[in-house]
Formats: sequence, structure tokens, C-alpha cells
Amino acid sequence: MSKAWTEGMKESDFSAQATVNDRRIQVSLVGTADLTIKAQLDHFLRQVHSEAQRCLAEEVTVDVRHLEFMNSSCLKSFVWWVSTVQEQPAVGKYRIVFVSSPTVYWQRRSLNALACLANEIISVQA
Amino acid sequence: MPDSPTLSFGLQLQPQSRMVSIVRRFVEESFEKIVGDPEAVFRVSLAVHELLENAAKYAVGDKTGLQVHFDSNGSAASIKLTNQTTPAHIERLRACISEIQAAREPFVLYQTMMRRTFGIQEESGLGLARIRAEGELDLSLEIDGTMVTIVASCLPTGRTSV
Repeated sequence: MSKAWTEGMKESDFSAQATVNDRRIQVSLVGTADLTIKAQLDHFLRQVHSEAQRCLAEEVTVDVRHLEFMNSSCLKSFVWWVSTVQEQPAVGKYRIVFVSSPTVYWQRRSLNALACLANEIISVQA
Repeated sequence: MPDSPTLSFGLQLQPQSRMVSIVRRFVEESFEKIVGDPEAVFRVSLAVHELLENAAKYAVGDKTGLQVHFDSNGSAASIKLTNQTTPAHIERLRACISEIQAAREPFVLYQTMMRRTFGIQEESGLGLARIRAEGELDLSLEIDGTMVTIVASCLPTGRTSV
């Protein structure tokens, strides 16, 4: 079993939390991801990716059900993450599963766009 | 006489990043009580957010003008954002909006622009491509010296202006 690891960030209107359990990482994003937290989100996703590499993660689940909005700058952070995972050799690749809410309208369109970039590693659960 | 009443408002504000989500929520909360189509409200609020963030990042001066018009049945909308900016930014906007207008498949262009952003930090135009692809709004640009107005709009079939 992997060593326990957690990573978190909290700003006034946004929080992110990640925990690892065995070779699965659970990420939860809450609030509004906009220009004011872009740098922190970049750092957070780099930490998640580093941990996924270290523990040879099979899957990272990203719960965005309570993420009210994500702007295009933060979407770019996810493009970086997805593209980085895509570029890994087979041993370093892992799946990214988004858990979304059908009542938060940005999620269906934006997550679909992300999934189309890399449908071999991304899936979206509504 | 219009088919449905038009809701509209205008704001003058300082283009600060902390104001962007506040204004987007105001648009969502105001219109969702009146407009029967929550997806249409989302598309307008998405455009408001992305356009205001553009102003927060690239506007020169301390005044940005936002105008939003909405048919109450959600079938037509326009969002206009006016601010002063640099000649270099105007040229980048002109090129970006021309590319978006020329794209037959907005979603395909959006995906292309997403891939282009990988590894670059500078201005990408992704927010504008998102307004076109996810918001399903047409984009146009009006330039008067160093003043620019970006218009995002959708029209019901058979109408030529909002």
C-alpha cells in the first residue's frame, strides 16, 4: 500500500484536496476556478501528477460536482495535465475520471472538450 | 413588437480579476429567475466571464463597459464589452476573432486551440474560442482607435439584429 499522501489548497472562493489510497488518487475541487487561483491550481495539479507518478497510480478521480465554474485559464491547466499524462510512457500513464454534476452547466461542455483531447485516458461520469 | 420582452443592463467597472466572478454570478442569478432556459443563461454568463477576464488581463485604463441584452425566452442575446487596450493586443484580437469567424467547425478549432496552449503561457485566445464553441455565440470586433468592443451574440432564426 502506498504511503499516505494528501495535498490541499484553500483560497477564499476555491478549495482543492487530494488524497491517495493504494494506487488511486481522489481529487475534489470546490468553488470557482478563475484567474485569481490559476497559479495555485497549476501548482496543485503538478503535485497531483508528481504523486501519481511516484505511486504508479492507475487512476485519478476528480470530483467537480461542487465546482461552480471554471474559466478558460484554469481549463488550460487541465489541458497541461492531460497532455502531460498522454506523453508519458505506458508505465507512467493513468486514467483521469471526472465526476460531474448534470445541473452545473459548464461541466458537460467543458469536460466533453477535455475528454475529446484524450479519450484514451479521460472519462466523465455524470 | 418583439416576440418576447428584452432584458438588458449595462455596467461600467474597473477591469479587475476579482470582479469577474461577481459579475458572472449577478448575470446568472438575475436572468435565471426570468429566462426559462438555464442553458441559455449559462451561455451568456460564460461569455460575460471570459470577456471580462480578457479585459482584466489586457485592458489599459480603469474603465470597462459591459452591456448585456437578452430575450426573456432565451432565444436571442448579445454581450458587448468595451475597453481601451494596446495596438499589439488589438492585432492579436483581430487575428484570433478572424480565425474563429472563419472556422466551419467551432468545436474543432476549440480543440486545436486547446492543444496549442500546451506549454505556452502567453495569450492563447482560448476564452474566445470557448465562447464560440461552448457558448454557441458568434463573435465580432469593433475597433475605434485604441478602443475595442467585442460582441458575442446569438440570434433567433430570421432575425438580423438583437
